[in-house]
Amino acid sequence: MKSSASPHSKAPFKFRIPTAENLVPIRLDIEIDGQRFKDAFTWNPSDPDSEVVVFAKRTVKDLKLPPAFITQIAQSIQSQLTEFRSFEGQDMYTGEKIIPIKLDLRVNNTLIKDQFLWDLNNYESDPEEFSRTLCKDLGIEDPEVGPAIAFAIREQLYEIAVQNVASARESRMSKKGRRGFEHVPVSKTGGASVDLVKLFGHRSSVVRKRKDWDIYEPIVDLLSNEEVDALEAKEERTAR
Amino acid sequence: METSQRETSYRRVPDEPELDLYTIPSHSSWFSWDEIHETEKLALKEFFDGSSISRTPRIYKEYRDFIINKYREEPSSRLTFTEIRKSLVGDVNLLHKVFIFLETWGLINFGATSDDNDFTEVEDGESSIIKIEEGVPNGIRVGATPNSVKPISAPPAVEDGAIVNGSGFKLPPLTSYSDVFSDLLKQKILACGNCGQHCGSRYHQCAKDGYLICKNCFNDGNYGEQRLSEDFELKTNEFVEDSSNPGAVWTEAETLLLLESVLKHGDDWELVAQNVQTKTKLDCILKLVELPFGDSLLCSEAQRNEVSGSTNNLTSEKEITDAPTNNQEIAGSEDQCTKDINEDKDEENQGPPKRQCTAYVQDTSSSLMKQVALISSMVGQHIMAAAATASVTALCDENLHPKEIFDDQDFFVPNGLCSAASTTTNHEIERILNNDDSVAKERPPQSGDVMAEDKDDIPLILRVRAAIATALGAAAARSKLLADQEEREMEYLLAIMIETQMKKMQRKIKHFEDLELIMETECPVIEELEDKLLMERVSVLQSAFDLGISRWKDYPSVRS
Repeated sequence: MKSSASPHSKAPFKFRIPTAENLVPIRLDIEIDGQRFKDAFTWNPSDPDSEVVVFAKRTVKDLKLPPAFITQIAQSIQSQLTEFRSFEGQDMYTGEKIIPIKLDLRVNNTLIKDQFLWDLNNYESDPEEFSRTLCKDLGIEDPEVGPAIAFAIREQLYEIAVQNVASARESRMSKKGRRGFEHVPVSKTGGASVDLVKLFGHRSSVVRKRKDWDIYEPIVDLLSNEEVDALEAKEERTAR
Repeated sequence: METSQRETSYRRVPDEPELDLYTIPSHSSWFSWDEIHETEKLALKEFFDGSSISRTPRIYKEYRDFIINKYREEPSSRLTFTEIRKSLVGDVNLLHKVFIFLETWGLINFGATSDDNDFTEVEDGESSIIKIEEGVPNGIRVGATPNSVKPISAPPAVEDGAIVNGSGFKLPPLTSYSDVFSDLLKQKILACGNCGQHCGSRYHQCAKDGYLICKNCFNDGNYGEQRLSEDFELKTNEFVEDSSNPGAVWTEAETLLLLESVLKHGDDWELVAQNVQTKTKLDCILKLVELPFGDSLLCSEAQRNEVSGSTNNLTSEKEITDAPTNNQEIAGSEDQCTKDINEDKDEENQGPPKRQCTAYVQDTSSSLMKQVALISSMVGQHIMAAAATASVTALCDENLHPKEIFDDQDFFVPNGLCSAASTTTNHEIERILNNDDSVAKERPPQSGDVMAEDKDDIPLILRVRAAIATALGAAAARSKLLADQEEREMEYLLAIMIETQMKKMQRKIKHFEDLELIMETECPVIEELEDKLLMERVSVLQSAFDLGISRWKDYPSVRS
């Protein structure tokens, strides 16, 4: 996988999740007869599709869900994989692209807010490793938090990748041959990519200003059970 | 790169003036603030292939320097990736790679506690490269104050305090310094509640509320509000009395009284103080400790307590105490002499002097006078006498006053010590060499009767000085002896060395002689061999001539 991430090539990257492992974030939210099943995990798109059904059966059996869920789960995964594959083979974007990733999620009793920069050209990036380090550094004990953070990062990367497929197509149409080292203007690339010259130019230091430290710092809150219940009720209301 | 120089130098400023010492593992010795090493270039290629504006050597150096500096703000605690990534602009994955690289090489988190829970989640905005420590650093644990051991390790102080306070209170275990000493400190600055002046050694305390007034105020009837004279009880503050206080000045009579009381009552200071009357317990103790022979007195006292009832011991100890205090006959020098004589007498009574000497040597706490006695018994008696005389002479030269005293008191030696030092010495030597029994016999009655009359005639200080001078003289003599012995030892060793060298030389000579002998025996054999060879040659030549070979060819060889 790493070979494809050769930083020398100025050619546009083919579509994929811009991380070391090309794993697709899959989110399930299925409700049958009042029973709701929500889950989020990653899937390797190069795995044979037969695995999807096996996985669905296994999940339903483990979680003691009604058999009706099997087809629903399999269908949901399959459709998401198909959507992903529809982008494959297309040019994604060109040049440097570093985007801010914002996290704001709640996992069980843990509330996390965070912001950091992510280089879409760094195909050695590893959201799972990053979230592991984060949980370790912050002493988060809930084992579900780490995977949730990694998943959130992947979802955002996926979204940006999809946006860039469109914008790359667009920019290819408008200014042919003008690509490479020069960064693409923010407005054109879509997404909130940062101004690289401003951040990494010769005149600026890569050390952030003091006042920005709080913005780029993870904030972790441990909620009480009552607070969690209140939040869940609120989410329920807004969903309806 | 130019800007990077500026950046790093700016950031290193806090480090340089202090020149803090940081430990990095030896395998990371390649690290240098000013350069990027090959190791770094190999491990983090992406910064050095010029592929991206966000990955340049300059940026790498900034990342690196910042992370290392950040760690070194607090080397004892572990720096986490999450902590540094909020301060650095850039791809978190890249930052993580740099962080892991630095950590792997021990440039950060080397020697830091690997306590995973020991993270600092939120740093205040002020924390930066220059960090002001607040509170106790992580590495330091606050434990019990070491002072708590004090009363245990120094029981005498506590004991004294308890005795002096007169209340048999006991300190609880693990008492702190302030627990033990705060009272004393307070008492030292006791001030009168009325006039505000220091109370001195005696004051009156109100039993109700501990209100203090000084003696003057009490006598004047200034009791303060709502207090009656009955409420106050007289207290003596022993701690106030020190050398500046008149109570610390001792007259000779008081000293004598003290000594007598100590002899009588031992270390029961209550009784001693009662006997002395004019002094407090603490004063008595201090005075006795100050006295040069105080220790010996106490020691002998202890002995007496151990072997109670031994009158023989008692008398001898009395002599010891009498010697320095009551010696009136020849002052300083004779002081020492009488000591000698005392010891001689003891030796006569108790056995060989050597054993006594060793016994004294072992007693490290023996007093000055004991030391003098010991040293004087080590050197010859005539040397001792000479040293004593010399010291007294020197003292007389120093001060005219003692001269008179010595002259006046010196009825034992008819001529003045200074005027006829030589005769004095002779006299003394004679007397001591004879080990005059009469002197020894004379002493006890003198110490009992005559001395009592003239006991105050020679100031104690002077006697002590004379004794000190004598001791120094004796020590010098002793050291001279030691030096002589050392010299002899050296000479002896040198002789042994020379002898050994001589032996070596002789062996060599013998060896060469043997060689010569062998050569001599070989020489005729070789000569014989030469003759034989010559003969052979001649015969060979002869046979050649006979065969008719030309002559000239062989001529030189024959000649040789």
